[in-house]
Amino acid sequence: MEAVHKKQEHRGSGKFGRRFLQYLVLSVFLLIILVPIVLIVFGSLKTRGEFASTPYTFPNPPRWENYERILTQPSTFVMLRNSIVVMVVSVAGTLVVSSLAAFVFARMRFRGQTMLMNIALVGLMFPMNVAILPIYLIIKEMQLTDNLWGIMLPQIAFGLAVNILILRGFFMSVPTELQDAAYIDGCSTFGFFWRILLPLARPAMSAVAVLAMLGSWNSYFLPLTILNSEKWYTLPLGTMQFVGQYGSEQNMVMAFLFLSMVPALIFYVFAERQIVSGLTAGALKG
Amino acid sequence: MLKAKSIVLALTLILLVALVGCTATTTPVATDAPATDAPATDAPATDAPATDAPAVEPSGDPVTIEWWHISTAEEHMALWQGMADAYVAEHPNVTINITVLENEAFKTKLTTVMQSGEPPDVFQSWGGGVMNQYADAGLIQDITAALDENGGEWRNTFSAGPLGVYAYGDKNYGVPWDMGMVGFWYNKKLFADAGIDAPPETWAEFLEDVQKLKDAGITPIAVAGGDKWPAHFYWTYLATRIGGQDAFVKASTCPGSFTDDPYVEAGRKLQELIALEPFQDGFLGATYGDEAGLVGDSKAAMELMGQWAPAVQNDNSASGEGIGDDLGFFLFPAVEGGAGALTDGMGGGNGFAIGKNAPPEAVDFVKFLTSQENQIALAEINVGLPVVVGSEKGVSDPNLLLVQEARDKAVYFQLYYDQYLAPATGEVIKDAVMGLFANMLTPEEVAQQLQDSFAAESCK
Amino acid sequence: MSAISGHENTFMPYKSRGITRKAQDRLTILLFLLPAFIFIAIFQIYPMIRSAYFSVWEWNGLGPLETYVGLKNFTDIWSDKSFWKGLQNTSLIVVWSLTIQLPLALILALLIERDLPGRAIFRSILFVPFVLSEVIIGQIWIKMFRPDAHYGFINLILDQFGLKAQPWLGDPNQAMACAFVALSWQYFGLHMLLYIAGLQNVPQELEEAARIDGANEIQTIWNITLPMIGNAIRTSVFLSLLGSIQVFGLVWVMTRGGPIGASETLATYMYRAAFLKFSLGYGSAVAIIILVLSLVLSTVYQLAAGRHEHVGGM
Repeated sequence: MEAVHKKQEHRGSGKFGRRFLQYLVLSVFLLIILVPIVLIVFGSLKTRGEFASTPYTFPNPPRWENYERILTQPSTFVMLRNSIVVMVVSVAGTLVVSSLAAFVFARMRFRGQTMLMNIALVGLMFPMNVAILPIYLIIKEMQLTDNLWGIMLPQIAFGLAVNILILRGFFMSVPTELQDAAYIDGCSTFGFFWRILLPLARPAMSAVAVLAMLGSWNSYFLPLTILNSEKWYTLPLGTMQFVGQYGSEQNMVMAFLFLSMVPALIFYVFAERQIVSGLTAGALKG
Repeated sequence: MLKAKSIVLALTLILLVALVGCTATTTPVATDAPATDAPATDAPATDAPATDAPAVEPSGDPVTIEWWHISTAEEHMALWQGMADAYVAEHPNVTINITVLENEAFKTKLTTVMQSGEPPDVFQSWGGGVMNQYADAGLIQDITAALDENGGEWRNTFSAGPLGVYAYGDKNYGVPWDMGMVGFWYNKKLFADAGIDAPPETWAEFLEDVQKLKDAGITPIAVAGGDKWPAHFYWTYLATRIGGQDAFVKASTCPGSFTDDPYVEAGRKLQELIALEPFQDGFLGATYGDEAGLVGDSKAAMELMGQWAPAVQNDNSASGEGIGDDLGFFLFPAVEGGAGALTDGMGGGNGFAIGKNAPPEAVDFVKFLTSQENQIALAEINVGLPVVVGSEKGVSDPNLLLVQEARDKAVYFQLYYDQYLAPATGEVIKDAVMGLFANMLTPEEVAQQLQDSFAAESCK
Repeated sequence: MSAISGHENTFMPYKSRGITRKAQDRLTILLFLLPAFIFIAIFQIYPMIRSAYFSVWEWNGLGPLETYVGLKNFTDIWSDKSFWKGLQNTSLIVVWSLTIQLPLALILALLIERDLPGRAIFRSILFVPFVLSEVIIGQIWIKMFRPDAHYGFINLILDQFGLKAQPWLGDPNQAMACAFVALSWQYFGLHMLLYIAGLQNVPQELEEAARIDGANEIQTIWNITLPMIGNAIRTSVFLSLLGSIQVFGLVWVMTRGGPIGASETLATYMYRAAFLKFSLGYGSAVAIIILVLSLVLSTVYQLAAGRHEHVGGM
């Protein structure tokens, strides 16, 4: 251990060039990522004409009234509330349902397992666009049109495949010794899942939550089809107010989308800390 | 402790399963039957009273009207809302639920809702091929009787051309509230800079003027190839000028004859224009917003567009005010030797159709929306060209008055081909014309593709 | 790892409770899987069956199903040039994703994961595009790719270097590549995050040991690091494969499959049929083809990847 340490220090002092290269490459990518985002922000601070004719210049003067217009509309906050409700329920539902299934697929053996897993994954292979009619018919039959449940239930369903896949991978990477030890300590299978695996899998759960959250937050097609009343609209439907039959107020669309991105970014930052917070490395390395 | 916890969880799970389960087991079976069969079984039943009994009077019982429109602009939305409020004030038994959707979103959503067999009561319609399909499936009401009531009282308020857009066979399935015409919107100053004194009246003159603009270093034409529909106007207008009404009636009657001369010739004439390379750089991928901005910023001399063009140019120009008084309008030039007249017009607009399950009040409400008074109010905020006789006094913009005049003068008024023909054929014609613009298809191939699609879609 | 592995253990009789461990496990399996499969059955399997049923009818989506056409929709698709263009473009996206997008994501993950000061900032910002909706990404990349140096950012940059402005989305030969740039911009953050998560599990001691043994950086990564994040890589490849086959929203916003059908993908082709041409039967047939292709591709991938228990279990 001592030797490794020394070696590391030695290399550390000698790898200034490597660091530089590392930062250089990363900075280039940072730029590629940031330029379009900055353009979105610039665009959101211009008038419609300014954005159409000079899309990438610095907004001078910045038109804060675009944001004011959005933030003074009561409907904005109605949509925000709906989006949050839909997101929280969809994420919670997806987490519970997919972690249970992923646990079984990762940790237990039974007949027909492979087949069931394949069926679970089929959801990844079928585009929702064309399935929208059957889904709409089901929602209508359940009398859930123009109702937030009509969005949340299908969203939970469509999030399952990818989340089961990811969680299963993480669950399988937990050493079997842990399970053996748990059984020796008198844990039931469920006890092992609940008391040991889930806490360990917090980073993975966070990753899954982030995916489900973003999927829900940006979901447009489903709410558009299911919802009729403005009081149930979610944020992505809010951009419609700036789009006309022959053209759109792109500056306002940018401002609205940028604002509606902020909560998602905040959630992401919190979840991200979870994902990477050491990933409970100690327990994993055993 | 642990055991208790797991039992609670298991119970919750079972509950959850039971809850979801009971709704689940009933759905697939039950959904199938009514939802898909609804149009088939219900359609004749709902249709019948509408046609046979014009006297279905609003009953006075509480009813709700679901109204979907696509007028997202604040002022326009408020105007519609005000009209709805006014109607409800006079008819306290009526509740009107308004859903405002953006154009594309509306189409997407309506498609699914129509497929489920339950249309909204009053909704945006452009007439033509899509409306005809809804009519064939019994999803919208035949309102001929309502129009003809009291000696055609309602019918006679409309200009005949625009109302005809919402007729299919000899029945009416909707009414317009806005109808305009496509023509060239041009920059008078740029034309003058290029030494052009008067706008062209023939295709040959038009091509000469395009060349003059080019020589003067001005981009003659802005066009949105990415959105396709602005580009397809060129071909369809040429066909209208060359073949006139007779050729189109013949071509669009089964078995169809879109391979006739006028439709090939239209492609050849368009090729003459394309060969001059008159369009802005990268026009094949441009959006309509790009197109309008170029004209609005004086970066291109003209565009071929409908009545909404000035408003969109203003919105997409740097100043927000477009080119103001420099903007002019001229009719699509005549083609030498063509059967169509200079006064023939091609255009389209907006209207409302009435869903099959709508209460009689819905028809009455639409009648109210298209009253002269309400049409004038609409014209005054510049969001459409009114279609009710006597409401043109609401139009103040000189250019829009030109369009309105041309529309009313048109003996042969043709709805845009892509809306008039079946939806699939509408897509084919736009794609095929784009092939011409990109020099990837010949005029003969364009005509053939259109004919093939027409035969397949409309002559089964 | 000892010979007694967890899986066998789950079947060992467990006598201290009233019921056997095996019976308990059966119940656990049933109860744990039931919720997931109820959702899947209602919202995925059932719509799929419905679509398969629609696909043998000529149907505009309105009114009853009247014209049974058997496999005619499929033979029509087969003889449609646009479908083959869509298939070709979709294949391109699959290949480009695997050869450009994922390696890039991996390189970035390797660069960031190390004990780099400020890595949290890089990690967060590089992920931001994935947070955005396709609509806004499409809009902004349309602006980036506008065809002249005045309106288009990328052409402005080319202009600074004295290069000629390109038509980008207006050129049938460039449009698909432009759409792919936007796609990669959106998605590589996701793959990077998957790799970073995987890298957390790689004990640095192992890598150090390899370096001490004289391995250079690339050898260390190739021989030690990559095999240890195999699971993350397999998941990411799997997701990328299936996602690429269904690429829709971004391409639709940016190009509508144009110009002249040059950027048509299978999903835009399907959407055009079902929603613009009112041919729901035909569109359903395309959806079934997409499903079958996905199944075939993922099966082939599982076989090629060998270790089938790690991804999907197919």
